[in-house]
Amino acid sequence: MTIFSQSVSPCGKFLAAGNNYGQIAIFSLSAALSSEAKEESKKPLVTFVAHDGPVYSLVSTDRHLLSAGDGEVKAWLWGEIIKKGCKEVWSRHPPYRSSLEVPEINALLLNPKENSLLLAGGDCQLHTMDLETGSFTLRGHTDYIHCLALRERSPEVLSGGEDGTVRLWDLRTGEEVQTIEVYRHEECARPQNGKWIGCLATDSDWMVCGGGPALTLWHLRSATPTTVFPLRAPQKHVTFYQDLILSAGQGPCVNQWQLSGELKAQVPGSSPSLLSLSLNQQPAAPECKVLTAAGNSCRVDVFTNLGYRAFSLSFS
Amino acid sequence: MSTESNKKRKPKVIRSDGAPPEGKRNRSEIDLASEIEERRIQSCVHFMTLKKLNRLAHIRLKKGRDQTHEAKQKVDAYHLQLQNLLYEVMHLQKEITKCLEFKSKHEEIELVSMEEFYREAPPEISKCEITMGDPHQQTLARLDWELEQRKRLAEKYKECLASKEKILKEIEVKKEYLSSLQPRLSSIMQASLPVQEYLFMPFDQAHKQYETARHLPPPLYVLFVQASAYGQACDKKLSVAIEGNVEEAKALYKPPEDSQDDESDSDAEEEQTTKRRRPTLGVQLDDKRKEMLKRHPLSVMLDLRCKDDSMLHLTFYYLMNLNIMTVKARVSTATEIVTPVSAGYVDLLSPDMILSCLYPGDHGKKTPNPANQYQFDKVGILTLSDYVLELGHPYLWVQKLGGLHFPKEQPQHTVTADNSLSASHMETTMKLLRTRLQARLALTKQFASLEHGIVPVSSECQRLFPAKIVSRLVKWVAIAYEDYMELPYTRDIVEAGLAEDTHLYYLALIERGTAKLQAAVVLNPGYSSIPPIFRLCLNWKGEKTSSNDDNIRAMESEVSVCYRELYGPRPGYQLLTNQLQRLCVVLDVYLETESHDTSVEGPKEFPQEKMCLRLVRGPSRMKPFKYNHPQGFFSHR
Repeated sequence: MTIFSQSVSPCGKFLAAGNNYGQIAIFSLSAALSSEAKEESKKPLVTFVAHDGPVYSLVSTDRHLLSAGDGEVKAWLWGEIIKKGCKEVWSRHPPYRSSLEVPEINALLLNPKENSLLLAGGDCQLHTMDLETGSFTLRGHTDYIHCLALRERSPEVLSGGEDGTVRLWDLRTGEEVQTIEVYRHEECARPQNGKWIGCLATDSDWMVCGGGPALTLWHLRSATPTTVFPLRAPQKHVTFYQDLILSAGQGPCVNQWQLSGELKAQVPGSSPSLLSLSLNQQPAAPECKVLTAAGNSCRVDVFTNLGYRAFSLSFS
Repeated sequence: MSTESNKKRKPKVIRSDGAPPEGKRNRSEIDLASEIEERRIQSCVHFMTLKKLNRLAHIRLKKGRDQTHEAKQKVDAYHLQLQNLLYEVMHLQKEITKCLEFKSKHEEIELVSMEEFYREAPPEISKCEITMGDPHQQTLARLDWELEQRKRLAEKYKECLASKEKILKEIEVKKEYLSSLQPRLSSIMQASLPVQEYLFMPFDQAHKQYETARHLPPPLYVLFVQASAYGQACDKKLSVAIEGNVEEAKALYKPPEDSQDDESDSDAEEEQTTKRRRPTLGVQLDDKRKEMLKRHPLSVMLDLRCKDDSMLHLTFYYLMNLNIMTVKARVSTATEIVTPVSAGYVDLLSPDMILSCLYPGDHGKKTPNPANQYQFDKVGILTLSDYVLELGHPYLWVQKLGGLHFPKEQPQHTVTADNSLSASHMETTMKLLRTRLQARLALTKQFASLEHGIVPVSSECQRLFPAKIVSRLVKWVAIAYEDYMELPYTRDIVEAGLAEDTHLYYLALIERGTAKLQAAVVLNPGYSSIPPIFRLCLNWKGEKTSSNDDNIRAMESEVSVCYRELYGPRPGYQLLTNQLQRLCVVLDVYLETESHDTSVEGPKEFPQEKMCLRLVRGPSRMKPFKYNHPQGFFSHR
């Protein structure tokens, strides 16, 4: 089993995880973190089959859980899922070019300002879907898109793909603003791993991306790499946290980097390699403020303190 | 009397007369004489009155006496009468009391109750009018009625006795007739034997078998009955027979009198033997062990014939002291089996291995009867597994076929053979045995071929694979359980409990160019319903296993998890070879779709020849391992 995606509920007490069999499991973080936690608290509250194919991406709005997998997006009500009612609220798929193979949706991004959802995946296109209806397309990548990141100050979205480029798009005009070909830069390119960009995170002026090329911190305005993080394994997920950068990928550890490029800590998890990280920063549940990591196994590691792995939730 | 008295008195008078005359004779002799005469007359008168008085007194006395005598007599008579009467009274009283105490026998007879009596007795006996008032009459009447009834019943009884005698006589006659029939019938049966053989209806044989079956111990008997029933009803290819020494079996159940005689004999013998040297302790223990593991002389043999004429011969034994059943198996095939020759090859058809784990976990090395452990401790046997080669395997399904059910927790005092348990297991077990035999035969053939590096794929399964496969199987060997555990990439399987010592382990080596793929295979004895599990290790540009390469993991799952498509035609014994073929295919795909490393000079080692829609997909960048037929391209699952 591989767990591809995670998402925290709006109340902060529950964690949803999606795996490669199309199932979504809801874990109760508050129960698992409480002092009377037993073995059953580490099992899912409810598990249901959401999609036919793997669930590659999960994102939460303030009432809904949106899941995306092989070509369609489904929405579920958080309130209902917690009570074990597993019926989808809606399910849509963006228009595709070819019908021979259904392209997967690798990344979902929520744009709260315009109440719209950005999708990107196997058909090499970015779609915007208004959370009521409607969608329009932003094109540009030559190979499929792995990841998306939202730049808050100017309404731009970044996308990184298999073709090795990071492209910036302007949401209002739908045009590509900038393209960064990461693999052409000597400092970070690692041709033996390929040129694909697996993960992106942005902090308005700065961007971290990794994957085939090494994990690098970029200055966006000048589009130059400033720091290269010395890690051989390709990274699949990266995020900014306070003044640290957390990354995870091949290899069982969650890596913590300082902005200068030094490795602050490497905390081992229980899966042989990790595919997603999730930080529970919901203000409604400060006691459930944890980092969860999941990847190539049926376990979701919970880190209460970034220094060590507290315990693991198990999918089955 | 008076004269006598006078005479008596006269002497007195004379005397007295004699005295006075001497003194005064002259005075007046005449006055004196007159006075004397007067006095004499007076004395005589006095004497006369005296006499009269005396006489009167006497008479009075006599009278008185007579009177009293009479009265006394009367009184005596009355007295006597009184005594008589009293005596009589007493006598009568005694009689009365005797009469009153007399318990007539009639009170001991239980008479019918009053109401019943009045109901049933005919009026001439009951005489209601008289008897109602008079209890004496009533009792008499009842007694009468009782007498009537008894007489009637006595008559009936006599009649019944007579008829019984008659019937007995009839029975005797008929018995004689029947016994005369017996020799005639057996002669007919003898004559009918050739007819039976001619018509293929071996009733006689079956009859003989049932005869011997009577001497079977209960579990074997249950097995025999159920197996023959099943064979007749559902499965024509199952034949049941009883083997062994019937005489010995009969000898086991000798009656006690014989054994008592034996005891006295053996006592005498024992005294003799103590004089001889005692056998050593080891020999004694050995004997005790042999005694404990003794088999019943009779055994049941089951022959299962399969479609291709291969047969599985099962012989079931019963260990009497341990109350368990064991089985020995043997395979015979119509054609010669080509066995693989490599070193370390485990013969899947050997008697030891063929029935291992027919049901999951039933490895037949431990005795299923918990009570046996205590028995073993007494004679120093550690486990039964040392003796299974000669005694046969005590599998759990064998016990169930014999109707012996052993609970798991505590030892039970008596375990008796139960028919219903055996019946429910018979069908499943027979089916399992057949599939097991077929699967093992198929596997042996496949192994023989695999040893030469050829993966035999039948024509029905060709469609599962593309036409051109470049990777080849180079080596196929059996490895031991310990070696499997040593391999670094098999740890997860061992931890998940999927690899035990009853399973079979193999190592396959597939090569293409410089790439070498090692596959460690766990084969469950329950192949092919339980699929083999593959673990891969690729040596090409470094060592890649599922722990460091997601695509290797995907390959493993493609082969081990998605096995249902690879079963092939029913009953699916080609699973292993199809899996190996698929492994070659996915290795091809892996090598060809590897993205080219632009930093290294030179062309790709493996040019892409497979048709793939997309080379990578998804956040984990999976390769397309799924083959689509008949379009012939590869896509992602």
